[in-house]
Amino acid sequence: MANNPEKQVCIFTKEQLDSIKTGYDDWFNNVLKDGDREEELAGKYFTHSGIPVKMVHTPADVSHIDYTEDIGYPGCAPYVRGVYPNMYRGRPFTVRQLAGLGAPEDCNLRIKYLLQHGANGVNILFDLPTIRGYNSDDAEAEGNVGHCGAAVDSIWDMDAYFKDIDLGTISTSIVTHLPSTSIVIPGMYFAVAEQRGTPKDKIAGTCQNDFIMETCVGSGPEILPPPVSFRLQCDVVQFVCQNYARFNPISYNGYNLREAGTNAVQEVAIAISNGIATAEELLKRGMNVDDFAPRMSFFWDLHNDFFEEIAKCRASRKVWYKIMKERFGAKKPKSMLMRFHVQTAGVTLPATEPLNNVARSALQGLAATFGGCQSLHIDSYDEAYSAPTEEAALISLRTQQIIQAETGVINTVDPLAGSYYLEYLTDEMVKRIFDYIKKIEDMGGLVTAVENGWLHREIANYNLKYQKKIENGEMKVVGVNYFRAEEGSAREIEVFEYPETYTRQKAKLDRLRKERSEQKVKESLKILADKCHTDENLYPYTLEAVKNLVTLGEIEELFREQFGLWTFPLIN
Amino acid sequence: MELQELLSKALAGETLAIARLISLVERRDPTAHEVMKHIYPHVGNAYYVGITGPPGAGKSTLVDRLTRTFCAEGFSVGIVAIDPSSPFSGGALLGDRIRMNVKKKPGWDIFFRSMSAGKTVGGLAETTREATRILDACGKQIIIIETVGVGQSELDIVSATDTVLVVLVPESGDSVQIMKAGLMEIADVFAVNKSDRSGADSMAESIANMLERRTTFRKSEWTPSVFMTAAMRNWGIEELYRGILSHREFLLKEDRLKKRRKTQIRAELLRLIEKELTRITWEHMSRNNNLDQLVEQIWARKKDPESAAREIAVQVERQLDLSQS
Amino acid sequence: MTRPIKVVMAKLGLDIHWRGVYLVSQFLRDAGMDVVYIGNKFPEQIVEAVMQEDADVVGMSTLGGNHHSLGLKTVRLLKEGGLDNVKVFMGGVIPPKHVPALLEGGVNRVFLPDTPMQTIIDVVNGSVSV
Repeated sequence: MANNPEKQVCIFTKEQLDSIKTGYDDWFNNVLKDGDREEELAGKYFTHSGIPVKMVHTPADVSHIDYTEDIGYPGCAPYVRGVYPNMYRGRPFTVRQLAGLGAPEDCNLRIKYLLQHGANGVNILFDLPTIRGYNSDDAEAEGNVGHCGAAVDSIWDMDAYFKDIDLGTISTSIVTHLPSTSIVIPGMYFAVAEQRGTPKDKIAGTCQNDFIMETCVGSGPEILPPPVSFRLQCDVVQFVCQNYARFNPISYNGYNLREAGTNAVQEVAIAISNGIATAEELLKRGMNVDDFAPRMSFFWDLHNDFFEEIAKCRASRKVWYKIMKERFGAKKPKSMLMRFHVQTAGVTLPATEPLNNVARSALQGLAATFGGCQSLHIDSYDEAYSAPTEEAALISLRTQQIIQAETGVINTVDPLAGSYYLEYLTDEMVKRIFDYIKKIEDMGGLVTAVENGWLHREIANYNLKYQKKIENGEMKVVGVNYFRAEEGSAREIEVFEYPETYTRQKAKLDRLRKERSEQKVKESLKILADKCHTDENLYPYTLEAVKNLVTLGEIEELFREQFGLWTFPLIN
Repeated sequence: MELQELLSKALAGETLAIARLISLVERRDPTAHEVMKHIYPHVGNAYYVGITGPPGAGKSTLVDRLTRTFCAEGFSVGIVAIDPSSPFSGGALLGDRIRMNVKKKPGWDIFFRSMSAGKTVGGLAETTREATRILDACGKQIIIIETVGVGQSELDIVSATDTVLVVLVPESGDSVQIMKAGLMEIADVFAVNKSDRSGADSMAESIANMLERRTTFRKSEWTPSVFMTAAMRNWGIEELYRGILSHREFLLKEDRLKKRRKTQIRAELLRLIEKELTRITWEHMSRNNNLDQLVEQIWARKKDPESAAREIAVQVERQLDLSQS
Repeated sequence: MTRPIKVVMAKLGLDIHWRGVYLVSQFLRDAGMDVVYIGNKFPEQIVEAVMQEDADVVGMSTLGGNHHSLGLKTVRLLKEGGLDNVKVFMGGVIPPKHVPALLEGGVNRVFLPDTPMQTIIDVVNGSVSV
């Protein structure tokens, strides 16, 4: 709302609004049937996150909104309508599909396949041992090597991953969830680029690097304490900002928070709270807000509630803008732009009648487009079972191309703006996100909220509530609890298996251990261990270590020893 | 497995047999009494440490760290951790084991058992004592009991252990609350856990102040020591461990441990006698179905309640005499 | 007097998805069972927990593809430890075509995605004669 009501740019004059309100009352009292009116008065409809939904929304619901100040123009504050003036006319959202399975050599083929079919960026995924920081031949890795993503143990694997691919021409999202591996695996990518002579300023991409992922969203047998994970997260941001101009060092992972069990408001508020915490830490380290803010990006989960999800995307841009401008005093416009990647909601894809998921994902992808995402990954219909098969991955890619090329929705910017319902939701969403951020801050900030288990309880409570709604049918899942499929109608899905990955990785590790200089390995580990107990940024030391052929597992084990382990505070 | 075989295997230290014995007792199996009778002669070699404190104080993590220390010093450890039961379903989510993330070194002997509190309120489950005795008899040298920790007065721990460790955190509130919870009376050792947070010093100080005041009007030979710990970071664990041992040394002098345990035995015996007598009385009354009659007579003012009660007592007494002769 | 059915619930190995296993744990508790939730654990640790707790049932959740390797290893270790009576259930993302091999290997039942909680409760209740 404008500070000065005199100057408020209202879409409707006071007289018009009065007449709209009278008209609404008339409609409500005289046109609506009694039963419908009672139902409406009972207030039974809500969005997924709990925002009340009326039977019909009118200009009266958005009369307090000032067009210029609260909505504005694309590429202009408060960026509700998008971060670029011409949005998809200038450049359609990046079609980003996943590639990650088996050994790096297998992924290399998949990346080439996707690039040949028109993808211009790749997401590379890792298997669980890599995600959690173990080598393929560690005891803990048993049974998981090469499943659901590729194994990466050393810089040699990164080299194989991108064999014959020019790192200067693609944008790579390195899906390292955890800060403790984000301080190692992208370093391998940087080191490979350096060895191949690719200039630093040509290296484009993202890593995820989110301490919430490490300490809350994903559980694990051995977890670093939240303050440590947060420190590593900030080390990565600081180092990358100072060295790689086109690589985004952090993608605040609302996506996996949402998948783990939060609603749209919590998803955005928690991710932005992490952005606030990072900004405060980096300012303490002497950086200028305009040096790191432009490099922060976000990652949203586009769920089923179509309009709420679009409102979420629009609202999140506004919240970030206000925080960066008003709280942190950012000067550069780029510091105030929230850019985000979207993935459609894997959690909404049941294994029952999997082909239905093509329809679900297409609708979610469409919502992402209306929401103004910068890049999009549409889940494959077989998500519930495995990393996508080639056929499924191609359908996802094609779905994106259909949205871009056939529907016409990208020809005009933010086409749903001005919908009374959507603007009402966007406005509500902004308020609710701010309220939730305040709740976290009042508790002592996000690191504390994780450390004391509050966030875990929020997630557990959400899930229990949601599951009970599915159990009692209040939440409908087509084919599962609504128009339930006939028994046996589950479609058999082809599952990739890479039993040979372990053997290949093991052989590679054996060779690596023979060929590398043990002395250099020991030296770099010794330095890294010492630096853990200083305030220094650890990235230069992990980078040096991976160049000396130290493995991922060795570095992570060092972290566990130096920083100690933390227990997941699920039950208190 | 036959009971005899189970007993001998358990006494020889076999994990599965020990676990099954505890279950027999937990289930109030008809053989449970037999089990305890056989176990009892072997009881008494272990040292019992109780850990209590408000929810969220980090008790489980502290148990994990202390266990590591005990093991590293060569002790075998038996742990019983109690969690609350749901008042609605009677079921329980037992989460203490999740914190036992010890990468066990070869030779470490740890037995961990989770128990649900059921309907009890004193911080222990109904058969916690029996479970720890089985662990004791079967060779565990240190027994650790972790109470429910839901913030009620969990004072039963003092009657089941030799050293009571009360765990607090900087946020545990003011001294009045701690006094009210009765923790000052039962603590032999205090730990201010999560002491990497602000307020730890003042928490420790206020405990020390309270202890000082206490000794002015209640003479005690032992003044509880206060330790600062941060279990997650492994701070202060070694000191706390030594603090527990020095309380043990104190008890071992001048027969204090013997006295403490005899006091516990006396209390337990009285409790059990009471329970037995209640059982016998109930059996007697349900056999003769005279409760309803008495209620009617009292209602009609033909008898007063106390006379009615005495009448029953006399009947029971007579029955006991008969059964003896 | 009996005690409630005792269930040990674990996340198998490195798998990071705790939503399902924790939900099932909560539902089993609300159905009156004692659920020992042990978080992410490897087969040896799971068997140790089942043994010391003298559990009637063990539930393992995995979405990470280690159902064959670690799942069946757990079953094998249970048998070696004399815990043949313990009922073994698995749940999570497990391809249907892998189910027969798991059942053959000694898993009592595999709960695939979209299984109603009540089904799980009923099956667990029905499997244990208290």
